[in-house]
Amino acid sequence: MKTYSDLEFLKLSKGQKILYKFQRFFAAIPTGLKNLFLGIGRGLKGLGAKVGEEAKDIITTFVHGDWKTKLSYLVMGFGNLARGQILRGLLFLLFEVVFIGYMVLYGAYWLGMLPSLGKVGPTKSYNEIYDVYVTQYNDNSFKILLYGVLTIFFIIAFIYTWRVNVKQNKLAEKILASGKKLRSGREDLRSMVDDQFHKTLLALPMTGILIFTVMPIVFMVLVAFTNYDGTHDGYYNNLFTWVGMDNFNTMLSWTSGTGSGTQSYAATFGEVLSWTLIWAFFATFTNYFLGMFVAMAINKKGINLKKLWRTILVLTIAIPQFISLLYVGKMFAKNGIVNGFLMSMGWIDKALPFWEDATWARITVIIINIWIGIPYLMLITTGILMNIPADLYESARIDGANAWQQYSKITLPYMLFVTGPYLLTSFTGNMNNFNVIYLLTGGAPTNAAASSAAGSVGYTDLLITWLFKITTGAESKYYLASVVGILVFVVVALISLVVYNVLPSIKNEEDFQ
Amino acid sequence: MKKFLAILLTLAMSLSLCVSASASGLEGTYDITVWVAEEIKDLTAQQIEAFNASNDAGIVINATIEAVSESVAATTMVADVELGGDLFCFPQDQFARLVQAGALAKLGVKAAETVAAANAAGVVAAAKVGDDLYAYPLTADNGYFMYYDKSIIPDEDVDSLEKLIADCEAAQKYFAFEMQSSAWYLASFFFATGCVSEWTTDESGAFIEVHDTFNSPEGLIAVKGMKKLVSSDFHLSSSAGDAFDANAAVVVTGIWNYETIKSILGDNMGVTDLPSFEVDGVSYHLGSFNGCKLMGVKPQTDPVRQAVLHRLAQYLTGEQCQLERFEAKSWGPSNLNAQASEAVQTNPGLVALFAQSAYSIPQGQIHGSWWDIAKVIGDDVKDAEDEAGLQAALDNYYDKISALFQMSDAEKNAWAVIGTVNGTNWDTDLPMTKGDDGIWKTDEAYAMDAGTEFKVRQGKSWDNNFPADNFKVEEAGTYYVLFDEATGEVSLAAE
Amino acid sequence: MSVSKEVNAAPVKRHMGLRASRAMANTGIYILLVVISIVWLIPFFCILLQSFRVESTWQVGYVIPQKWGLDNYRNLFNTDFPKWYLNTFIAALVTAALQTIIVLCMSYTLSRFRFKMRKPLMRFMLILGMFPGMLTMIILFRVLKDLGMVQANAVPGLILVYIASSGMGYYVSKGFFDTLPKSLDEAARVDGATRFQVLKKIILPLSKPIVIYTVLTAFMGPWGDYVFAQYISFGTSSGMNVAVGLYNWLNQDQIAKCYTMFCAGGVLVAIPVTVLFMCLQKYYVEGVTGGAVKG
Repeated sequence: MKTYSDLEFLKLSKGQKILYKFQRFFAAIPTGLKNLFLGIGRGLKGLGAKVGEEAKDIITTFVHGDWKTKLSYLVMGFGNLARGQILRGLLFLLFEVVFIGYMVLYGAYWLGMLPSLGKVGPTKSYNEIYDVYVTQYNDNSFKILLYGVLTIFFIIAFIYTWRVNVKQNKLAEKILASGKKLRSGREDLRSMVDDQFHKTLLALPMTGILIFTVMPIVFMVLVAFTNYDGTHDGYYNNLFTWVGMDNFNTMLSWTSGTGSGTQSYAATFGEVLSWTLIWAFFATFTNYFLGMFVAMAINKKGINLKKLWRTILVLTIAIPQFISLLYVGKMFAKNGIVNGFLMSMGWIDKALPFWEDATWARITVIIINIWIGIPYLMLITTGILMNIPADLYESARIDGANAWQQYSKITLPYMLFVTGPYLLTSFTGNMNNFNVIYLLTGGAPTNAAASSAAGSVGYTDLLITWLFKITTGAESKYYLASVVGILVFVVVALISLVVYNVLPSIKNEEDFQ
Repeated sequence: MKKFLAILLTLAMSLSLCVSASASGLEGTYDITVWVAEEIKDLTAQQIEAFNASNDAGIVINATIEAVSESVAATTMVADVELGGDLFCFPQDQFARLVQAGALAKLGVKAAETVAAANAAGVVAAAKVGDDLYAYPLTADNGYFMYYDKSIIPDEDVDSLEKLIADCEAAQKYFAFEMQSSAWYLASFFFATGCVSEWTTDESGAFIEVHDTFNSPEGLIAVKGMKKLVSSDFHLSSSAGDAFDANAAVVVTGIWNYETIKSILGDNMGVTDLPSFEVDGVSYHLGSFNGCKLMGVKPQTDPVRQAVLHRLAQYLTGEQCQLERFEAKSWGPSNLNAQASEAVQTNPGLVALFAQSAYSIPQGQIHGSWWDIAKVIGDDVKDAEDEAGLQAALDNYYDKISALFQMSDAEKNAWAVIGTVNGTNWDTDLPMTKGDDGIWKTDEAYAMDAGTEFKVRQGKSWDNNFPADNFKVEEAGTYYVLFDEATGEVSLAAE
Repeated sequence: MSVSKEVNAAPVKRHMGLRASRAMANTGIYILLVVISIVWLIPFFCILLQSFRVESTWQVGYVIPQKWGLDNYRNLFNTDFPKWYLNTFIAALVTAALQTIIVLCMSYTLSRFRFKMRKPLMRFMLILGMFPGMLTMIILFRVLKDLGMVQANAVPGLILVYIASSGMGYYVSKGFFDTLPKSLDEAARVDGATRFQVLKKIILPLSKPIVIYTVLTAFMGPWGDYVFAQYISFGTSSGMNVAVGLYNWLNQDQIAKCYTMFCAGGVLVAIPVTVLFMCLQKYYVEGVTGGAVKG
């Protein structure tokens, strides 16, 4: 493909420019992917080198260190204690004690069970005295996986802390050798609100993210390699166990395994994914342009009651969606008030199939989503529109530009530049827009071809609502939901990556300070 | 007076406590959670009070009663059995799923006998896996029939689907019959023409085979009838009673909507069995599922607590409590004695249900995925343009049903021996392998007595089986079974 | 960045033709705005009207009640609705307070400090955000169960989950902090203030819009949460929030008796959020425009 210089580009006609940009976009995808893999490769290589360096440093520190340092390899914090840094030393020591205690009492068990995810399922026995069957519960695969993962997290944290402990000894020896004094506990505390203040500030949020986001994600990724479902729930009926790549093979294979007519998971996934992308595209851009339009209309000079118009629109943000969406969904039912109104006015003689027909339903959800989305966009764009320097418009007007030219030459480019990152997050957000679909249609109408896929897929189902249906469906295939979740991640990540790499303004915007 | 009674009651209770305390071993106070539908929440509280007062084992139940809709109870139980209600109610289609999830405690031997004897046979079968009873029948009214607005539908039209549709279209009113989102309702057309979908489970509750004739000439007649309804502009896919307040003239739904519809239509409410439809000059009366609601007991680790819960469940699903629920909320009893009572026999809604029951089939155990697979037939039929389209809808359905058991083509084509061979009793397929000569032969030789009977069947299904009458072993011995696919001939070969 | 400023405020020479065409255009816009307002308000009006309908309790095919009354509101108090309302209110209040602290800590740090792990950290959180959160529901539920924070104790559990990962939503307020000039901090640092003092004395007083924005969004969240709240209340009425409680009334076995009550409950839920939103709208707009687009 020909690459144009800036000057050549400017000479192109409008259509050619657009075409060129599209070509550039798609041409950049392979490069973007290549860079990604190269980046991963470099990262791994770097990681290997780093580990080697660390190991070397650990050994040299030991060899060259004094006896305090050497003992610290075994008793964490000993060096700190011996050199008078009581607070640090005690914290290190406490951590080591807690870690060893945990590993002996619990950690060893969970780790030991992790490879098998449990050995003995629940057993039932008949009790003649009371004429009842009594259940005895045994191993719990779910807990083994959960606490196994936690234990591994803990071990990593321990290794890291141990490494810090070693480093501190080396540093302390160096400082003492140069004749300076070590920091006291009081100084340590003060630094927490000063030069180490960022660590203090981040401690709480990051702990939360680690336990309530990272750990669950790791867990759920692991579930994709097990057979965890309604009939293997790991405790109450059958244990679950590792199944390797089986679930990915099921999901990604194009043959349905059973032949004749039944749609494969891959085909179902493809259908749902393509609708998800179409939905995300329309949901994002219809809202974006219409919201901008409404904001401009309200902002226009000479329009009174600006506050009133804004307030009316903003009501939709303030009222919880489970109320408004459920009601709106019912308004459009076959015997709902919209059809009732249209029929009583004599405009139609039979009900419009808003939710019954696949195409109708898809268009209807997009339109109702506009109703929800415009207020947000109106709020966001209002402020930005007001930031556009007024003299730009002034000079355009003097040059005789009409309203459309002003919009397409000034407003739109400015808006697109400033809201680029917002558009991207909004696109990925819409891909995972659970509420709108779940509350409006629940995925209906049903897709006959895909009905044997776990949880039965409908024409308006997004990947995220399908995922929900899989977990709550008749067979509760958590493992499959997990695979879908991983694939959603891959799709979202790919889109973001490509957009980031292709649109430099967005990349720079992200780093904008 | 009241106070006096209360004292008397306490006295009686403590007396009975003393007498039977050592005998039952169940005395004590138990904190339990009970999940029931909102409408019987208060009634259930009273019934548990009555149980506390009347039981002779010294059991005092301290119950927290939560309103958990029957339709969501099962999904919630499956998500985490431990946190679920100790007693919970659910519609029968969730039964197999709950058994598999380990959320139901099997009834003891004596309890099972009592319950089986006291309740209608079809309902008892619905609570069974193999020979084991896993739940207590709560109602036997989970079926559907037809409500209509007499001011719009003339009484003489109620037996004909075609006339009903015409009446609705003429009046611009809706005919509500949930054809597009519920397999439970749309099966009605298939049962009308004699189609069946029968499922078999193993003893853990897992499904092992199905006998399904929806994809057949009769099934095609059924979808032709269905087509008449779903292609009408005034068909509404709904089973909500309040549809009558939103332009419906006919609603097919169950007894639970009786009160609502009564208060909307008043004297204009008509209740009757489902109509018939006509295809090629033959009339077919719409069938229905005849199902029930069940009460389950959560498995416990403590035998005493388990026994107490079973006793309470047995009490709450007994004759008296079922009658109370009937009187308060018109719930149709499953208990035989309660069913026979005059009030039940003359309740208009139940009368319609009983009238329909001549055409209904008991809802047995059905694979959870069946509901998802079958419910799309309605949409498929609506979109179908000709007979080929209708047939395609059935083919599509059939493919997905057969795929449920994840049988490969090889497995579907494989023949096996089933019968009273080798200690099995018509419940196990003994594998065969095809030899180089094209003859199928059992993998092992089995010892057979004279009189042992068996058949050879294909793909664990009875669609193809040989010989026509059971093969009978005439002379005891240890044999391989041989089968010639080309001729359908079955023979024995001594080891 | 005040709301009342207009796009083309600069004075323009006017003559009659221009004025007439502008008047035409404005009339067109007024008509459009009126139509939009009607479309936007219809559903809320309908819900409001349904909540005053007393002749029946189920869904009907008409909008204007035949008989008006407050029965639905009165009946709400015979159900667990007050309890659900209280649960949600507590959750919203506590979440608003704690989530604001966490989000501000996070965004302030990422905006103002330069440390080795800053970029990797931001990239890491960006990647984390790409996983569908729905997936982690099961495991969060089990963790909360082990902590005893489910069913009747669902409220603390809900709060914990709402705030725990709220640090990931730092984008908007980081964008806001980025707009505050750095010279302010540096001047104070030169005067010997610690980092903490800079935050307390200099930055916070300037951050009113973003603090209010964060509080407002955090407060609104819990009112609409259905899926997760449903999961962890696990069939126990006393642990439900309004969304779960009201949604259950739409189950097939209850809708005929509870539909108008559902509408009345919906109105009551909408009131505090709406009022709060109306009062603080100005700050919300400032926060969202100051931060949302800077990334």
